[in-house]
Amino acid sequence: MGIHFVLLISRQGKVRLTKWYSAMPSKERARAVREVSAVVLSRQQKQCNFLEYKDKKIIYKRYASLYFLACVDEEDNELIVLETIHHFVEVLDRYFGNVCELDLIFNFHKAYHILDELLIAGELQEPSKKAILRVTAAQDALMEGSGDSKVSDSKYEI
Amino acid sequence: MSGGHLSKDFFELIKSIGECKSKQEEDKILAAEVATLRQRFTEQLSPKKMKEAVVRMMYAEMLGHNADFGHIHAVNMSQQTNLIAKRVGYLASTVCLHSGHELTTLLVNTMRRDLKSTNHVEVCATLVAIPKLVNLETLPALMDPVCALLDHPSEVVRKKAVMALHRFCQLQPSSAADLSEKLRRVLCDKDPAVMGASLYILHEGAEADPKAHKDLVPSYVSILKQITEHRLPSSFDYHRTPAPWIQIKLLKLMATLGTADQRASEGMYEVLLDVLRRADTGINIGYAIIYEAVRTITAIFPNIQLLETAASHISRFVSSDNHNLKYLGIKALAGIVQVNQKYALEHQLVVVDCLEDPDETLKRKTLDLLYRMTNAGNVVFVVDKLISHLRETSDDAFRASLTERITQLAERYAPDNSWFIRTMNCVFELGGELVRPDVAHNLMRLIAEGSGEDDEADMALRRFAAATYYSMLDRPILPDILVCVICWVLGEYGYLIGGGVAREPET
Repeated sequence: MGIHFVLLISRQGKVRLTKWYSAMPSKERARAVREVSAVVLSRQQKQCNFLEYKDKKIIYKRYASLYFLACVDEEDNELIVLETIHHFVEVLDRYFGNVCELDLIFNFHKAYHILDELLIAGELQEPSKKAILRVTAAQDALMEGSGDSKVSDSKYEI
Repeated sequence: MSGGHLSKDFFELIKSIGECKSKQEEDKILAAEVATLRQRFTEQLSPKKMKEAVVRMMYAEMLGHNADFGHIHAVNMSQQTNLIAKRVGYLASTVCLHSGHELTTLLVNTMRRDLKSTNHVEVCATLVAIPKLVNLETLPALMDPVCALLDHPSEVVRKKAVMALHRFCQLQPSSAADLSEKLRRVLCDKDPAVMGASLYILHEGAEADPKAHKDLVPSYVSILKQITEHRLPSSFDYHRTPAPWIQIKLLKLMATLGTADQRASEGMYEVLLDVLRRADTGINIGYAIIYEAVRTITAIFPNIQLLETAASHISRFVSSDNHNLKYLGIKALAGIVQVNQKYALEHQLVVVDCLEDPDETLKRKTLDLLYRMTNAGNVVFVVDKLISHLRETSDDAFRASLTERITQLAERYAPDNSWFIRTMNCVFELGGELVRPDVAHNLMRLIAEGSGEDDEADMALRRFAAATYYSMLDRPILPDILVCVICWVLGEYGYLIGGGVAREPET
């Protein structure tokens, strides 16, 4: 099914971003976050970036003080998911200019919009970093404007 | 950059969450925030203040706190004409709602209207929200408007429309057949990202009905060739590798369509060799492609040259120091031994090493490989390893899988009956409630019917079974299934054990 959820946590286990691509009741979600965070935070450095979780898999990577996690199905290609995470991080880095945890904490809604250009329904939507940044920049420009009246599309190139 | 656009109040909230030292502290702050929001939403708020309230609600929900009193406001915001409000509304809706949520149906008419908007951003915001929120009830109302967008002038819109249709297919597999038709056209879209997006649905279609899709194999091969020959715009390169995600998707498609089909597979051999060669760049993304190509090679109709090439790549992975690669190597090995067991022979030492590795992930994958490599010759060794892991682990899902596998291997390859009984007793003891009832029945039938040939051996087996079970009676705890077996055996054959010493029947 692709990616079931994306989770960003700090080294102390604090949640910075969660994005769910399948319907899960909130109690289950809370439990998944708790359990998955605990396992990932206890992993050693040299070990695989993959681990089994119930009948699924968690792919994770640590970037400075943040852990990026994705939950996928048993038969998915683990290495490409790892690269998808890396792709996301590279886009964030270009967008925020040397991204750090604080950027994501205070701009979580922007991180969401970027993630929405990268993944839809848990699958990779856009392989080109340039395209993602271009679309996001255009949308930002639009939002910075008034946005008060309905605008016709001829003025806006996306 | 950080925080300048937030109101002072909101900024302080996020700052305090960022600085707090424990989950309890965080929960306390958020609980207070939720209470404030509950009050806030009862007031008459200006559009700006409403937007902030909805974003704050989304923030609280993201961190796991329920604010369902505010969900209706997210829905209301999506229905506004102001673009900024609409976008925030849709975003908040995707965070707070889901396909089963009662408020989701309220959004359908808004979504239908927004899909027809002349403003691309509006259309896109809707298309992004749809996969999360659509359900079987609302799907019919959205299918046509989304399909209409397949011809939209903007490639960003077309691409998102295709992805939304993919979600529709997953919800309602019966629509995959008609959508596959439309998607064949999208396969020829001049924008590679749109073309790439169509592959998801086409793959679902191919899995459901491979025959109907075999005619696309030459197209897939051709596209893959174009990609590896760098004929796509360079913006699709990722670390100098051309469109790796699309390559992998195509490889998966080929695996599905080439399975057990010699003709289809033959069309793929050349490009597969090429992909393997070009992906050998020494970086992760290259390995990801190699891994997928190897998987495809082991899935389709076998070709000796390809298998040998695949095997050599697997060797490199398995002997790598990098744990990720080792893991993938073990996984790939499990695939290739289904084709021919000989490929595993040269790696036996490495495999045994991985079994003892402190990396739990690696260990488990190696157990999986062992399971697939089992034959009559090594079953005792393999089952021994599996049982020792069953004894140690407390992970329920893992226990269930081990129990099932040990049972299968024992039933299929047991060297003799007394080994089988001893092994099954272990499984009952350790796996207890996870063992299927029919396994116990099989065991009892085996003891009852015996081999049917050698009466003396059969009686010796029954005596052995009875004595073994008799000696278990003083164990403090026994799983129900084992108790059943013990009772039955002792009931039928208890008379055989006068002296009571369990002795192995001579084999």
